[in-house]
Amino acid sequence: MFKDLDPILHSQLRLAVVSLLISVKEAEFTFLKEKTNSTAGNLSVQINKLKDAGYIEVLKQFKENYPQTICKITPVGVKAFEAYVKDLQSYLTIKK
Amino acid sequence: MQEEKIMTEQESLRLISRTIYEAKGYYYESGMSALMYGFSVFVCSILCYLRDEKIIAFPFHPFYLLIPVFFVLGWAQMKEDKKKKAKTFTDEAIDYVWMGFMLSALAAFAAGFAGLYYISIAIVLILISLATFLTGMIAKFKYHIVCSFIGWALAIVSFFILNPNIYLLLAFDAVMVWVIPGFMLRAAFKKIHGGE
Repeated sequence: MFKDLDPILHSQLRLAVVSLLISVKEAEFTFLKEKTNSTAGNLSVQINKLKDAGYIEVLKQFKENYPQTICKITPVGVKAFEAYVKDLQSYLTIKK
Repeated sequence: MQEEKIMTEQESLRLISRTIYEAKGYYYESGMSALMYGFSVFVCSILCYLRDEKIIAFPFHPFYLLIPVFFVLGWAQMKEDKKKKAKTFTDEAIDYVWMGFMLSALAAFAAGFAGLYYISIAIVLILISLATFLTGMIAKFKYHIVCSFIGWALAIVSFFILNPNIYLLLAFDAVMVWVIPGFMLRAAFKKIHGGE
């Protein structure tokens, strides 16, 4: 039913991460974890998948001696998200 | 949240709208910058009024006191920015609005060097209202939108009272635009973040 939908985005956690990142300039890993209510391990795996697809940029740095991971959506990610929403809307139109 | 749960198209759209709504609603603002700036402008305006009315003597123009305040504010803002878990486009747009206001206000104060002190205050009142209006519209904060219209009315009035009383209008504007919202933000911040 969803064979034409982007498989990278058609996953609950990855879609939530991209939806969050599309609305902000950049976000910390802890922000994404809090908002998606996910575990650090699972979120980390999904973030890596999005990064490998080129949908997000991940910056690792130190803040007050603690490691900090900052995520930001890329132009490729924005295009993929827009295409995904368009596809979803067309599915809904067909169903109606 | 599970990773590979199969979602229907409605569930996907619901998830997208919920997360976008949550992300856009994020803000981390202690209100301290607004309070510091508001009180500084208020105090300087009152000192200017007292000086121009010859009630007190002041060795230099009281607005010069704002210069160290800008540095302290910049430092405080940088510290607060570091605590933010996400930087929203709203934050960024509001930062640019106030940066533009600061630079425009500095340019307006140049009129003071040409002897047009009171005119420069009237221009600053207009600029404050413009920045307040844009902030209110961007952040969807009705209080600031209403304040901007009151501020513009004060600015119009100020052109007819080009005397020391104009500083009282600026002091009132500072309380309305920075101090009151500063306390509102502080109360909301304490409610959300406790004693952080």
